[in-house]
Amino acid sequence: MMLRFRTPILFALATLAAWQGLVMASGIPEYLLPAPTAILAEVDRTLAVSLGVTFLEATIGFALASALAFVVAVLFVRFHTLEEGLFPIAIAIKTTPIVAIAPLLVIWLGTGWWSKIVAAILICFFPVLVNTVKGLKAADAEYRELFQTLGASGAQEFRKLRIPYCLPYLFSALKISSSLAIVGAIVGEFVGATQGLGYLIMVSSAHLETATLFAAIGAAALAGITLFYIIGAIEHRVIFWHGGETE
Amino acid sequence: MSVVALAARGEMQSGPLVVIEDLEIRFDKVVAIEKMNLTVQRGEFVSLLGPSGCGKSTLLKAIAGLIRPAGGRLARGDANLRIGFMFQKPLLLPWRTTLDNILLPVEIKLGGSVADRTDHAKARHILDMVGLSNFVDAYPHQLSGGMQQRTALARALMSDPDILLLDEPFGALDELTRETLNEELIGIWQNSATRLHTIMMVTHSIVEAVTMSDRVIVLTDRPARFVEDVRVRSPRPRSPEDAETLSAMKLIRRILRGGR
Repeated sequence: MMLRFRTPILFALATLAAWQGLVMASGIPEYLLPAPTAILAEVDRTLAVSLGVTFLEATIGFALASALAFVVAVLFVRFHTLEEGLFPIAIAIKTTPIVAIAPLLVIWLGTGWWSKIVAAILICFFPVLVNTVKGLKAADAEYRELFQTLGASGAQEFRKLRIPYCLPYLFSALKISSSLAIVGAIVGEFVGATQGLGYLIMVSSAHLETATLFAAIGAAALAGITLFYIIGAIEHRVIFWHGGETE
Repeated sequence: MSVVALAARGEMQSGPLVVIEDLEIRFDKVVAIEKMNLTVQRGEFVSLLGPSGCGKSTLLKAIAGLIRPAGGRLARGDANLRIGFMFQKPLLLPWRTTLDNILLPVEIKLGGSVADRTDHAKARHILDMVGLSNFVDAYPHQLSGGMQQRTALARALMSDPDILLLDEPFGALDELTRETLNEELIGIWQNSATRLHTIMMVTHSIVEAVTMSDRVIVLTDRPARFVEDVRVRSPRPRSPEDAETLSAMKLIRRILRGGR
């Protein structure tokens, strides 16, 4: 485990050292490019609180969107008319840029948590929906025939075949939308907020506090990576059979 | 299509189990099977032999109720006939252990409730019979192709079928494994402790058909039509070198080449 990470860590440290050396030697002003030590000095309570707020908004939005998308996907696959009727609307939501909708969300839901959570929901919903629908339909026709010969009902086929079969598809969508959730929350904060990483980024950029800005960017990246790895770890436990499938 | 109960269970130990008259099956406009006539007696081992894509599997699926015929009659000797179906692929659920995979038919039959101790005992007995007692808790990806197919056979036996329909059951396996499994299948068929006495098997191996079956039904290319019903009477256990087996194989080869 340690060995696997040794080379990338060494490379990262070398890059940081070169960066520090470059800034110190060339005398670039801090508002253009702060040194790593200057950025590190900005890691404080404000940053931690901002990170926590954004992470929570994103995670709540992500969880709600995933649950909702899963239920809708099951309904789509069971009732084809629903899919036919509602899928175009889902595509319309997807193709509208979240940046365009975010101001409306702030007008409707205020500058508090909900406008960010809903922004995260809107951006996470579609990938999960599409992949889950695909996964629920992915089981081979022969598997379905097997269930038919066993006299399984539609509900049994869903519970015992389609839903487990769909899990690898679901998790690959969850990994994509986990990073998107952070984007949604930050975009929401850009438009109107009093806290969070998006707010911190707006304020520090307006004041040319570039070191704070860098620290906030780093925190946003950390939030995305953390959520991604949490989902990855859960996936690894749940889908132990994947990659070793019979076919 | 009409499913007619020809006799109540238990009253007949022999007699027709599956009766097919003038059967026709189409996919859209393509005729897959036409003018098919075939009667399978209780206790028989029948092979369906023909060139690939000729509609053998379609016939088997029609008997299993997976495909609806376009015309003719397909009757079962008993309306409650229990059918076991085994596909060419093992079709195991990769998230279930061997034991849980073969308990699937029981779970489905029970609906909401879980398999009980009797079911577990039965499952273990069947796993013993197919030689998997050491792999009860293994997952499919930990099993070899042969063992996966044994699991699939065990699952088919779990629903206590009156008739077992096999669609090239061991076709994807290497020849040595296939021979072993064929012998074991014959053993299970002959074992009077099971209620399974009738087997229909799709194959495109002449040797396999002749060494295993009582009857070999030879079918033509698309659309599938009944050509010849070859009865193999040589005593079991058979070997491909027996005089009678050899002559049956020769006869079938001649039929397949078009000369009756």
